[in-house]
Amino acid sequence: MEPILTMKHIRKTFSSTVALGDVSLELWPGEVRGLIGENGSGKSTISSIAAGMQKPDSGEMIFQGQPWAPKSMIDALHRGIGMIVQESGTISGVTVAENIFLAELDQFKRFGVIDRRAMNRKADEALAGIGVKDVQGSTPLAALDFQARKLVEIAKVVMKQPQILVVDETTTALSQTGRDILYDVIKRFRSEGRAVLFISHDLEEIMDVCDTLTVLRDGARIRDFKKEEFEPDAIRTSMIGRELQGDYYRSDFTPSRLEEIALKARHLQSGGALKDVSIDFHKGEIVGIGGLSHCGMHSLGKVLFGAEKPESGSVTTADGTKITNETVAMKHGIGYVAKDRDVESLALNTSIRDNIAIAGMERYALGNFLVTNAKEKPYVDRQIESLSIKCAGRDQLVSQLSGGNKQKVVFGKWIGRGSEILILDCPTRGVDIGVKKAMYELMTSLKKEGKAIIMISEELPELMGMADRLIIMKDGVVMKEFPRSESLSDAEIIKYMI
Amino acid sequence: MAQTNLAKKNRTRELLVALLPVAALLVLFGALCLTVNLKGYRLDMYLKIVFNEGVVLAVVATGAIFIYSLGSFDISLGASTLFSAAIGVMVYNSTQSLPLMICTIFGVAIGCSLLSSVLASVFHIPVFVTTVAMMSVLSAVAAQIITANGGALGGIGIPATVVAPLDNVPFKLIALLVFTLICVFVFDFTKIGRRLKFLGSNPVCAKLSGIKVNVYAIVAFVMAGLGVGLGAFLTLVYTPSVTPTTAGSIGMNILVAIVFGGMPISGGSRSRIYAALVGGFSYILLNNILKIVIDSGAGYGISQIVSAVFFLAVVYVTSMNYRTKLLPR
Repeated sequence: MEPILTMKHIRKTFSSTVALGDVSLELWPGEVRGLIGENGSGKSTISSIAAGMQKPDSGEMIFQGQPWAPKSMIDALHRGIGMIVQESGTISGVTVAENIFLAELDQFKRFGVIDRRAMNRKADEALAGIGVKDVQGSTPLAALDFQARKLVEIAKVVMKQPQILVVDETTTALSQTGRDILYDVIKRFRSEGRAVLFISHDLEEIMDVCDTLTVLRDGARIRDFKKEEFEPDAIRTSMIGRELQGDYYRSDFTPSRLEEIALKARHLQSGGALKDVSIDFHKGEIVGIGGLSHCGMHSLGKVLFGAEKPESGSVTTADGTKITNETVAMKHGIGYVAKDRDVESLALNTSIRDNIAIAGMERYALGNFLVTNAKEKPYVDRQIESLSIKCAGRDQLVSQLSGGNKQKVVFGKWIGRGSEILILDCPTRGVDIGVKKAMYELMTSLKKEGKAIIMISEELPELMGMADRLIIMKDGVVMKEFPRSESLSDAEIIKYMI
Repeated sequence: MAQTNLAKKNRTRELLVALLPVAALLVLFGALCLTVNLKGYRLDMYLKIVFNEGVVLAVVATGAIFIYSLGSFDISLGASTLFSAAIGVMVYNSTQSLPLMICTIFGVAIGCSLLSSVLASVFHIPVFVTTVAMMSVLSAVAAQIITANGGALGGIGIPATVVAPLDNVPFKLIALLVFTLICVFVFDFTKIGRRLKFLGSNPVCAKLSGIKVNVYAIVAFVMAGLGVGLGAFLTLVYTPSVTPTTAGSIGMNILVAIVFGGMPISGGSRSRIYAALVGGFSYILLNNILKIVIDSGAGYGISQIVSAVFFLAVVYVTSMNYRTKLLPR
């Protein structure tokens, strides 16, 4: 049997970053191969080269016995390799059907006019083909949430019946229902003798879904694991290059906080997203807020930061200042790490320096006006150093960083300015275990410094592992508050979420 | 070691790319000298024309960089220059006061910019719409003022002797340099400039980083207004009369000039003040070369087409350079 895809000695550099040194990879019929590694290890780069998103600097690719050099992602998809990307790959201003058939609208033309009914029908079929029944082709994409948009992307790729499906950290955007849909697609690929390249930071998931596993580190292939060799600690050690055993959450199980209240939310009402939400956040406390994706917790984060105005209710600081917008929030020491990192937290085509400095200029600007290199460079370098941001230098574009390092830049932006209250919305989304560990340690040390941390997350283990107090929301309502406890179980929490 | 060498190589490549517009300016300058000599024209006369036209375009474009850095643009700057100059002339002719004329020109220019920005940011009307509307209104009002007061002459003006002492290279050069230095200072060394560039890079993130989007948009338009004011005054210094076609094409020329100068039309952190200077003079040099080479009634049209081709080529090359730097995520 021949491999479906062979990649030999692939090398790729971005500016001064060597994304792939000399990586070779094979993919066999019926194989689901996991790619795992820290952020910046080269997983997305190698898979995006296979899927035509970019070209290698050198190396050779053979797909189904023929040399493989796709001109674009669309070319690759039409010829047999489709990819679902990590971040949003859809266009907002048009319908679901138009997104699915974006490059192929001509097939629906009748006398020069697009037959929308036929196009919508075909889109409905594509969605139904992967088991999505509640999204229609005629629906404007803007009306869908992030998960539904991801499912539209999956339908778009699967519809083309590619021989290889590349799934790049897609599951972080999906709930269990969405994940089950994707897992079914993967099973179908395996049973039909096609292949899947599956990228995820969730070790448990990757061990469950994949048949084989390739570990990448710093742009090099480190080790392959067969299903029977899967062992979490061994995989982690290969990924990081050092021993990393057990979990990485707080080891204590005693809730603690300072008496002083840092932020007060009172009777917050915001459409259907928040219904009479009142919470006190104390200094020196990590408050975890969890629930299903639409429970209102993400809106709560924005309202607490003043980025969304509630219909009624208020958010006030310890000194009684009402938080009415982001500027007031920042003046009172509030920082906000948004869930949608690439859109809301970073300016991608801007340097690390600008991204970190933008929120903290008043810390070093002379007369709160004049910005000099002499003050700014050390300020930015301190954040790069203390957060161990892997980069070629402060002037490197953020778009050239891996997901975990981008998130570190976001943390640097808010920690550097000395935020006393940190609202972290899905702070570890799409980051590897090494970065996760570093972030949890950082949160613990910030708590010790007396800072108030509000951690919004869709990952129950991290909420249970880190929070002093866990607040569960459902349909905009606070359903239950759990104090930190060793005996707290998933089952106990989940019944308040669903 | 390999990483360091690669970083060094990339920095060198980026520096070379950044220097390309300056190299193009020098090439165009050489080309003008060569063309004028080959045709047997007077070089000093052409250099004077290029300087006078270039100074006005560079000054207005320098102010406009603040708007372009937001990823926005203002097509009404030419009309605003004309309107400010026309009002300035009217004020001088009524009061015989040069300082009052200068103040009026700046006041009107900033007022026009403020109006555009307030309409755009406070009432959430797209900038394109407000500036197109402003261009029409200002051109029409200025033409009305000029026609009503200029009579058979087709234009209005101030006595040449009033501004003659200022119509020299040192004065204009100093005006250009001082304004450029002020703009560089504000743009690169103050919170205002840094925030404007960030706002152009990602307005959503900028808002969530505490930047008041509307306030900074207004600041950008005010800075552009200062450039328009100075440009209008320098126009009067060069030719002390105003006709309905004065500065008419500046609005579009700025866009081309800024791109020639190496600034991306999407604005953001790669915005540079020098792009206006380099691009402004490059554009005027190119225009004059084409006028000499083509040397016919069709010259203007053809030079516009050649400029457009250059414009598209520069935009394509800069966007290619940018695209190859992106990681997949």
